Amino acid sequence: MTVLTRIREVAVIRRDNKFDRILFATMLALSGFGLLMIYSATRDSGTFSMERQMIFVSAGLIIYLVVSNIDYREYQGIIPMISVVTLLLLLAVFVFDSVNNVSRWIPLGTFNLQPAEFAKVVVIVVLASHLAPSSRDEIGPRTISWQKVLQAVGIVAIPAALVYMQPDLGTTLVFGFILFSMLFVSGATWRQLVSLLAALVLGVAAVLRLGLLSEYQFDRLRVLFNSSIDPQGIGYQLRQSRNAIGSGQLFGKGLFREGTLTDFNYVPEQENDFIFTAVGEQLGLIGGLLVLAAFAVIVWRLLVISANSRDRFGALIAAGTAAMVMFHVFVNIGMTIGIMPVTGLPLPFLSQGGSFYMSMALALGIANSVWLMKTPVPGENQLM
Amino acid sequence: MKFAVRLGILGIVFVAMFSVVGLRLWFVQVAEGPAIAQATEEQTWIQKTTYAPRGDIYDRNGVLLVTSRMVPAVVIDRTFVQPEEREELIKRLSALLAIDAEELDAVYEKEGINARFQVAIVSNELAYRLNEQLDVLPGVEIARVPERVYLSGPTLAHVIGHLGLPDEADVEENPDIDLNLRIGRLGVESAYDQFLQGTSGILEYRVRRGEIIDQKPPLAPLPGNSLELTIDLELQQLVELALEEGIALSNAVKDADHLAGEDVFGVTEKAAAVVLDAKTFEILALASVPDFDPQLFVAGIHVDTYADLNEREALFNRAIGGRYPPASTFKAITYTVIEEENLPFPDRDDVDVSDRLVNCDGKFILPELADGSQQVKRDWYDGITSFGWLDIHDALRNSCNKFFWAAGLGTYLAWDRTPRETVIQDWAGDLGYGSATGIDLEGEIDGTIPSRAEFERRAEIQRENPDAGLLHPSRLEDDGAIWQGGDLMDFAIGQGAFEATPLQVAVSYAVLANGGRVMEPRVVSRVIDSSGNTVQEISSPHVRTVPITSTTRESLLADLGRVVSSGTARAAFKDFGDGLDQIGGKTGTAEISANKDSHAWFVGVAPLNSPQYIVVVLVEEGGSGGRIAAPVARHILQYLMGNVPTPIEAGEKTD
Repeated sequence: MTVLTRIREVAVIRRDNKFDRILFATMLALSGFGLLMIYSATRDSGTFSMERQMIFVSAGLIIYLVVSNIDYREYQGIIPMISVVTLLLLLAVFVFDSVNNVSRWIPLGTFNLQPAEFAKVVVIVVLASHLAPSSRDEIGPRTISWQKVLQAVGIVAIPAALVYMQPDLGTTLVFGFILFSMLFVSGATWRQLVSLLAALVLGVAAVLRLGLLSEYQFDRLRVLFNSSIDPQGIGYQLRQSRNAIGSGQLFGKGLFREGTLTDFNYVPEQENDFIFTAVGEQLGLIGGLLVLAAFAVIVWRLLVISANSRDRFGALIAAGTAAMVMFHVFVNIGMTIGIMPVTGLPLPFLSQGGSFYMSMALALGIANSVWLMKTPVPGENQLM
Repeated sequence: MKFAVRLGILGIVFVAMFSVVGLRLWFVQVAEGPAIAQATEEQTWIQKTTYAPRGDIYDRNGVLLVTSRMVPAVVIDRTFVQPEEREELIKRLSALLAIDAEELDAVYEKEGINARFQVAIVSNELAYRLNEQLDVLPGVEIARVPERVYLSGPTLAHVIGHLGLPDEADVEENPDIDLNLRIGRLGVESAYDQFLQGTSGILEYRVRRGEIIDQKPPLAPLPGNSLELTIDLELQQLVELALEEGIALSNAVKDADHLAGEDVFGVTEKAAAVVLDAKTFEILALASVPDFDPQLFVAGIHVDTYADLNEREALFNRAIGGRYPPASTFKAITYTVIEEENLPFPDRDDVDVSDRLVNCDGKFILPELADGSQQVKRDWYDGITSFGWLDIHDALRNSCNKFFWAAGLGTYLAWDRTPRETVIQDWAGDLGYGSATGIDLEGEIDGTIPSRAEFERRAEIQRENPDAGLLHPSRLEDDGAIWQGGDLMDFAIGQGAFEATPLQVAVSYAVLANGGRVMEPRVVSRVIDSSGNTVQEISSPHVRTVPITSTTRESLLADLGRVVSSGTARAAFKDFGDGLDQIGGKTGTAEISANKDSHAWFVGVAPLNSPQYIVVVLVEEGGSGGRIAAPVARHILQYLMGNVPTPIEAGEKTD
């Protein structure tokens, strides 16, 4: 069955269901705003960065629209395949030359693919499938067994370990947050979650003890607590970022204003991980809170989608996606204002970066598909 | 729990996370915002320092000794180097300047973001070639920076000092100190650093992507003030040469003595000299051998060179920091005390108390000790000659130890444990011994005047720590005496535990010669600005007046004159030429240990009718004062008195 005929059939099914317009509009607004801020942060070297990001945004929107129209329940049948492909891609990054001892990319001509970004979405889908009961429309039992919990840990642990080796501590933590959130909503007991957390803490302690945390990761954690340790390095980045945001005050210095710290390029990576710095400095607390509100809307819609899903699989996908977005926003903005360590997590829809934008669009597209399919249409099973 | 409830709890957690971020944002932007905004406004302005040329140093006749010239230097301003250009820049510069790339990169890294720092001083030719390549050397500029030039080389090194970068101690003292600013070390470079330093200039600008977009008017550096020294360069050069010749003479004499079968110990290599104006307390010359070339420190001294200087003690100014027993030069002080305080002489066979004569036959037999044993002190001429009965005048002329021992013993026997027991020490202290003279140079020591109090202080330390080695252990035993008569006798002839610097000896003679005025010696007379106007006159503060009767003073000066005309320095001064009758002096030979040669001393005073010049010469482990130090001082005095200095040849082997 070709994808196109399938899409046509889905269209027939969801005749009465509408796109989640609020989710889509918010996503569009954030993407447009992101392009503006990228331009603001890089305009002294031209519009290149913004134009490049426009291409990724366009690609992302196409992905969103296509995926919205694919019945998310289809994925349950191809779980082994997408798992294997994702793992192979995560392994492939080690084949290519590392940049500064970091292996994160698969070069595709002008574009570098970051499999770790897509792996987050895959992990959400695979976990949802694992935790959802097998029979389709059942809401399922209220608790899950230890066996299920441990299997879920196993599902996440393999890609997490590969990503950690790149090394990419931030994305590894995203996996952890998704795992906990999804286990919780799918019925894990407090005892199960606390035991898991305790095991994790012990694991981290062991990692620190054995020196498995690379020196720069360790520095980034230490600098959070004492930014005077290296005034020129990571601490400098954090301090500059906080200064830039702080100096924006209530209303900001104005978009594209000259003479700002962002304008002076005083904040390293201000078009990537530190894009929120440009927002905070130029648009102030008002602009910053508006951005936060937009993310709150996205997370709220995802939770609504989860609550309204026709089955547990879709509900878990939407909840996992909400957790992913939430964690990115919290850690990224938290980092720019000095309450989170520098872990290299970008800000959804705003930060520059192709793989990340497209993976976020993919995740929201799948969630939108859950929304579209929420009401069973008479006769749909014959079509399936 | 229902699924929806669990979803709701997750939602609440998410709301909490949003709230934390939102509150923190409010705190950073509203609560702290105004303060941060103000700080960052200043931060966008980059401040760069331009260094001021240090002031010049002149001798008393206006001869330029030290100056600063502007030389081309390669300066990197990291503000204008984009991160991606760094590697290429280091590679190119390393090739052009022949500096190791890794070393250069380490400096680049150390200086930090936005730093502006000097990489190297370059020749004019290289500066010209670099200028043509500046397009491909981002952030590099050829700046003209001040460089210190020591025109007189190693001459006067200890008085001038040198430059260095601030060390940990300086940072502790002043945490805001500019770590790239060279500051004075030793000598007047250090003592007058605040005058010489000048004020650094400031460049302030805002930079965007390596381009200046805004600039404040630059604050030009203010050159430092200059110094005029009390030193006479020509005299200084002559003194330094004379010391070198004195050292050579000492070694030649030692060789001859060795061939003749006499005991000779080390090689002579250290010496010091001071020429002091007795009226103004200006230092006319001050030398310490071995010396160093201050220029070595200008570009940063090599570790090995520095280690070598330290090993040779070349940086040590022994004229103000060396500890030497003043030996027989101190007899002039004891002489004065005998006259002024009428010191008691002991009633013995070889002392005539009523006429104050002592039989200078070479041996002094000490009073019987409790166990019946008797110690005998041998005088320097024992076995060579016997002077017979001498009065105080001939005793000084011939440097008869027995006479001054007798005075010491008499004082001990009559006044020990009375308020007058320290009468000689008190005079020594008043004349400048035992405390720093206050000269405007760093590194001066106090020296030591031995006394009962001093010895008891040492005994206290040694009881706590038996290995201190400050006193002979027998003195600490129950039947021992910590302070003994022999100690005062030794002190009376400038020996024993007595420690003094050549400068202190010079000061004490200046006070005796000028009738009792004690002042702080000075090497700087004026601070002048770049247009030659006086900023500050530096005069020697008057410290105190020591009451010396003119009878004693005139008698002493006459007897010092007889030392060079017919006494222990007679041979050294025989070729002095005209005006020998205006020269006085005193030899000294400091015995320091059984397996070391003695230090050779001579103190000269001239002219005797109105003393102006005090010349102190010390040749460390040089041998006899009359033989080695006196000819050196004679050479200097000849120059001071307008005679043609004659070659430095060995004098007579005397005390």
